[in-house]
Amino acid sequence: MAGLPQPLVTIVLTASMFLAVTGCAKDDSPVPGPAATATSTTKGVIGLSVLTLTNPFFKVIADTVKAEAAKQGYDVLITSGEFDPAKQQDQVQEFIVKKVSAIVLTPCDSKSISTAIKQANQAGIPVFTADIACLDPDVKVVSHIATDNYNGGCLVAQAMMEALGNQGKVAIIDLPEIESVILRTRGFRDELKQANSPIEVVGAWPGKGSKDESFKVAQEILQAHPDLNGIFAINDPTALGAYAAVEIAGKTKQIVIVGFDGQPEGKKAILEGKIYADPVQFPERIGQTTVQAILQYFNGEKVAPEILIPTALYYQKDAEKDPLFTDVAQP
Amino acid sequence: MSWKNSYFRRFFADYGIVFVLLLLCAFFSMATLKEQHPAGAQGASALWGTLRQQHREAQDILIIANVGRDGQAFADTLSRAARNHAGITSQTLTGEPFFVRDALEDLAQSGRSPQAILATREAAQWPFLKNLAAELPSLDKVTLLSPQSYLWPDFLKRSNLMAIADRIVVIALIAIGMTMVIITGGIDLSVGSLIAFSAVLATVFIRDFAGAEDASGLGMTVACLAAIALAGCVGVFSGVMVTYFLIPPFIVTLAMMLVANGLAFIVAAGQSVYQVPDSLIWLGRGASLLGIPNTVVLMALLYTIAHIIMTRTTLGRYIYAVGGNQEAARLSGVPVKRILIFVYAACAALAGLGGVVQASQLKSGAPTYGVMYELYVIAAVVVGGTSLTGGQGKILATLVGAFIIAVIQNGMNLIGVESYTQKVVLGLVILAAVLLDMLKKRGLPLSRFARRTRARQDTAPDQ
Repeated sequence: MAGLPQPLVTIVLTASMFLAVTGCAKDDSPVPGPAATATSTTKGVIGLSVLTLTNPFFKVIADTVKAEAAKQGYDVLITSGEFDPAKQQDQVQEFIVKKVSAIVLTPCDSKSISTAIKQANQAGIPVFTADIACLDPDVKVVSHIATDNYNGGCLVAQAMMEALGNQGKVAIIDLPEIESVILRTRGFRDELKQANSPIEVVGAWPGKGSKDESFKVAQEILQAHPDLNGIFAINDPTALGAYAAVEIAGKTKQIVIVGFDGQPEGKKAILEGKIYADPVQFPERIGQTTVQAILQYFNGEKVAPEILIPTALYYQKDAEKDPLFTDVAQP
Repeated sequence: MSWKNSYFRRFFADYGIVFVLLLLCAFFSMATLKEQHPAGAQGASALWGTLRQQHREAQDILIIANVGRDGQAFADTLSRAARNHAGITSQTLTGEPFFVRDALEDLAQSGRSPQAILATREAAQWPFLKNLAAELPSLDKVTLLSPQSYLWPDFLKRSNLMAIADRIVVIALIAIGMTMVIITGGIDLSVGSLIAFSAVLATVFIRDFAGAEDASGLGMTVACLAAIALAGCVGVFSGVMVTYFLIPPFIVTLAMMLVANGLAFIVAAGQSVYQVPDSLIWLGRGASLLGIPNTVVLMALLYTIAHIIMTRTTLGRYIYAVGGNQEAARLSGVPVKRILIFVYAACAALAGLGGVVQASQLKSGAPTYGVMYELYVIAAVVVGGTSLTGGQGKILATLVGAFIIAVIQNGMNLIGVESYTQKVVLGLVILAAVLLDMLKKRGLPLSRFARRTRARQDTAPDQ
């Protein structure tokens, strides 16, 4: 009755690990089986890789694409690069191995994604980009579906000029690797220049698009510019992180924050007066339009190379009328 | 009976890790078994055979293929076969769906309807071809043929094996150096940041000194070697801190991780550097030797060299000696300080090489590369059986460990396991691998009863 023989232990442990993996495998795609029935139930598989699933904006895009595609008989594999361009490239490669019908991407890095898209081009799989574009002109993307980010940036400048009485110092908390953000900040600066606004942009700092990083960066900005009047945060998590820093510094009356996105968390902050305004994005519309574009493409119709979805400013007065919040107040 | 027990014990001790890898491959092969459709020239030949056997009456055929390498090959093969066959006229439409649809509509209107359409699998899925009778009524008498399916696991497709190699190359290369460092009883946490550091330096050198997009092969090589050398210097610095100032390796390399990360951001000015020639991807994505990817060749070369160093040279024996008992090694005349500086420098230089490969794969260098990679590298080393306490470990086992990690990540992606669940599984796998290794070496954690029983068995005469 000695201890178990070691080969048996090896087998038992590896077998239990397999069971764990199989148990965890979700039915994102039809479970592959040695029968012809698997292919007849689905028109095809669409591979989707987003920047991150931790930001609700991208999660909504992913979920909408999946739901809309399911209505049309397509399955969607949702993956996320989680800010790592190399990981996203591996995911695209695996989509190519699986011979998906189409690939939808929100790139982690607008320039590094070009090698992955080029591989998909060679394999003959159509590529669509949502929200964030690829900046390499040499690769073929069927269509880019996004919010009109440049215009959104202009709207932010207008809101900032309004809130600050067209004077003062403003800082940008940025995410420069992402093309959609580049457009927003460019729109912001161009609009200020065009309006000949005396507002001074003291600088742009990278906030990694996340709440915790933006919180730290905002604290540093406040140290460097104690007389700051406004912050342009390039998305809601960034705006909320900046607000936390402003609150701790006791400068909530002095500093105006304008965000971007208009996600539920951001809208709530606008309702509470923490954020002045957001140009709202419509991730559900982005998801729906993307699936429409894919279907049109397969149906033999010509798809526009760029589909821009307009945005509008969302203020506190809009939040007060928003059914998202008024329903809560109902008895 | 004891000789049989010890034979099996030794077998699994030495080759257990390869056995685990093979089991994993078998598992993922079974799990990704799917209908595949031959593409390109192969699919075309098969389809041509079907046409001549089952549809001999078709004289006028239309070949439809989607864009891409395989689609082009399919169309070329079929049109050539049709040309060489007297009595068959053919027309080819290769392109995007809207192009094909327009051409088909023109064809339908002109009244010239082909008798058979031979299409690639992808094209046959386009709705207007799938429901040809409904969409284009004048073409409803046309037979639509596309390649027949066969069963084969996605996991074992050539494109997937290359995907696995691409996935693991950076980690596998660095794992060589990390194995040496861990054998000496140390650790190197800076490798992740050094990947970014080296990728940024290499691309910045190409952009600023070698002519950006017009850089020559020589210019790019010099830039990359310079980046690797600078990464190596960081390693030398770490080694000096460890040996002359006696700071624990964990602390030194943690500090250098932050320094290298910061320097990468400074040099790149926070952006990704992409002004490099297209030919940079030769190292990371090219396949010059008989179609074998360059990354595989590189791994094979470096692992062979490392294996020879560790098993057949004095340097290798010294490294094991330093790890086994540093003081005893020093007293025996082993140049301990030089050996330690060498392993840290080698590890850092390999991280530099990893960064260059990464920059080559992504055709750009960004300070955001390599995040958390040090943990994957260490995982590959420990899964391969190297003990973190030092003194023992095998280079080739590290390669197997790296492959196990890559196979699991790749397999889970192919099956469709959700991203977050993958992380949990990977963590548990690493734990299981180390646990297996512990058991291999020391046996199960024995209860008092079993310990007494085992003691009695060991002293009893052989039955």
